[in-house]
Amino acid sequence: MRAEPSERLDPRAKRLWRLEGLITSVFLLIPTLGAFLLLDRVVDAAALVGALPWLAWALLVVLITVISPDLRWRRWRYEITDREVDLQRGLLYVTRTLVPLARVQHVDTQQGPLERSQGLSTVVFYTAAGPNRIPALATPRADEVRDRIAALTGTQDEL
Amino acid sequence: MSSSPQRLHPAILVIKVLTSFRRWFGITSVPWLFVLFRDGISSSRVLLLLAVVAISIVASGVWAVLSWRATVYFVRGNAFHFRQGVIGKNERTVPLDHIQSVDTVQGPVQRLFGIVEVRVETAGGGGTEADVSLAAVARPAAQQLQQALAPRRPSVAAIDAVEPDAPAPLLVRRLSTGRLLLAGATSGQIGVALPIIFTISQLFDDVLTPDFVLAYAQDWLPGSFAGIVVIAAGVLLLAWLVAVGGTVLAYAGFSLSRDGDSLRITRGLLERREVTIPINRIQAIQVVENVLRQPLGLVLVKMESAGYGADAGVSTTLFPLLRRTEVEDFLQATAPEFAVWPVLQRLPQRARRRYVLRSAFPFLFIALPASALLAWQDRPVLAPLPLIMAALAAAYGVLRFRGVGWALSTGRLVISHRTLSHVIVIAPQRRLQSRSLLQSPFQRRARLATLIVRVGRGSAFEITDLDATVAGEVLYRLGPAGVQATP
Repeated sequence: MRAEPSERLDPRAKRLWRLEGLITSVFLLIPTLGAFLLLDRVVDAAALVGALPWLAWALLVVLITVISPDLRWRRWRYEITDREVDLQRGLLYVTRTLVPLARVQHVDTQQGPLERSQGLSTVVFYTAAGPNRIPALATPRADEVRDRIAALTGTQDEL
Repeated sequence: MSSSPQRLHPAILVIKVLTSFRRWFGITSVPWLFVLFRDGISSSRVLLLLAVVAISIVASGVWAVLSWRATVYFVRGNAFHFRQGVIGKNERTVPLDHIQSVDTVQGPVQRLFGIVEVRVETAGGGGTEADVSLAAVARPAAQQLQQALAPRRPSVAAIDAVEPDAPAPLLVRRLSTGRLLLAGATSGQIGVALPIIFTISQLFDDVLTPDFVLAYAQDWLPGSFAGIVVIAAGVLLLAWLVAVGGTVLAYAGFSLSRDGDSLRITRGLLERREVTIPINRIQAIQVVENVLRQPLGLVLVKMESAGYGADAGVSTTLFPLLRRTEVEDFLQATAPEFAVWPVLQRLPQRARRRYVLRSAFPFLFIALPASALLAWQDRPVLAPLPLIMAALAAAYGVLRFRGVGWALSTGRLVISHRTLSHVIVIAPQRRLQSRSLLQSPFQRRARLATLIVRVGRGSAFEITDLDATVAGEVLYRLGPAGVQATP
């Protein structure tokens, strides 16, 4: 196995993912409340059992807002060599993906409202098999990466 | 070539009226029939019904004429233009080099008029342009259009002078009637046919009154175990017949010919389809042996072709039935790039444990508590049953493990894998859109990894539990650097 790709995402990615985790946490309150009501009103379970959904919710919140953003950031790496884009990502399941630049059809940068608030952008490049993403790069950096991929794509010999 | 704007064949009017009539009839027939049956048939009601039918035919006829006048297509510059819309004008422009293929389909109505439907399929690639369908085109016009839109022409000017000495399409293979029936009998699509049968029986339930059905069912309901078996066998037989019929309808008259750089497939009984696929758009070939065909040594050859991902299934069939021994010669004649049949490498022995666990684990999860429950619930005879299921799942895992093989042979990746069907995938390295290596914590401990290659939208192939070092090497050998290294 070759060495890990050289570049990391912007450190602000962690804050972005924490924010996303918080928003998800709020939405997760709905099923949690549902489970609680089911246990409390319908099944008429003991108070201790009724607390279980809230406990599960709290654990999940810690996981998605505190633990996972750090681990994800540490794992996420990318590198654009002169022939391929090399990506590595994952929490427990680690994925390494290589995309030949000759296969890239076009490149975008995208920015959601949350990303904009952190000054971050996502680079998306498309092959016939669908999109690949490099998320949470500082916006000027994302523009650079996009232009570099676009420039290299144009100069590739047909494999 | 710039062609003047062309209208569709006037038969489109009949097709439009028929389709809109069918649609309206479908929507309104149930309430109408309901009213007629409930209140009885009187001449005034029938007259009213006929009047409504007549008005809707006239209205849709007028609409069809207007939309026929508004619809034109033409080739100008380097693009195919399609303009339509009676009230709002809508023009679609498709660059010629985005056109994937130009297919023709001939349904029963089109056959009546000797015309075809032309479908212009465009390359997906994350784009938003949809495909264009011209529902009624005269044969000569369709051929002209196919030539004008043919992909990878050196220059557009050459198209005006259609080479008179262009070689006629070379027939590669035709499906004989015997093979067609054999393909139907072994298609194994009983699973597909069963829901159809249930739907039909539901339909009958709706039509027949509950009382009637109940009275009838009393005589029919199986009183014994044998009765259930007979009925189940009957349903299966019926499903099998439906599957045979479906295959025959889809594949009757299947013929594959090669026309220069393209393959042409003609097939279908009621609906004649003619599909043209440029050979260099074929991304991967799959040789599939389903359970029924394995003992007979028969296979189905499928292709993954860029732009056909969404239209999976029948349309991707390259040939419906071949003997396993014929495949290599067939591929040599059809798409030589895919004609490899190398000796496959196997997975490391330590991967076997992972295959067994992966397939048996869910069963163990349920089986142990279930067995305990059965033993406890005074049914000790049944207690081993869940455990036997788990053991079967484990055996299935071993079977899957044995079925996996792979090879990297002169720039082509060959993967063999087995679920119930045995599938061999052949994908040239230069067609791979991306390669990934996936490693779970369990795999990391066992020094194993999963290699995934993507050849098109929604078509990915994987080798699960390769040796991690080997997988890492293969990952890079499959890339552009690997292409250079291969002589």
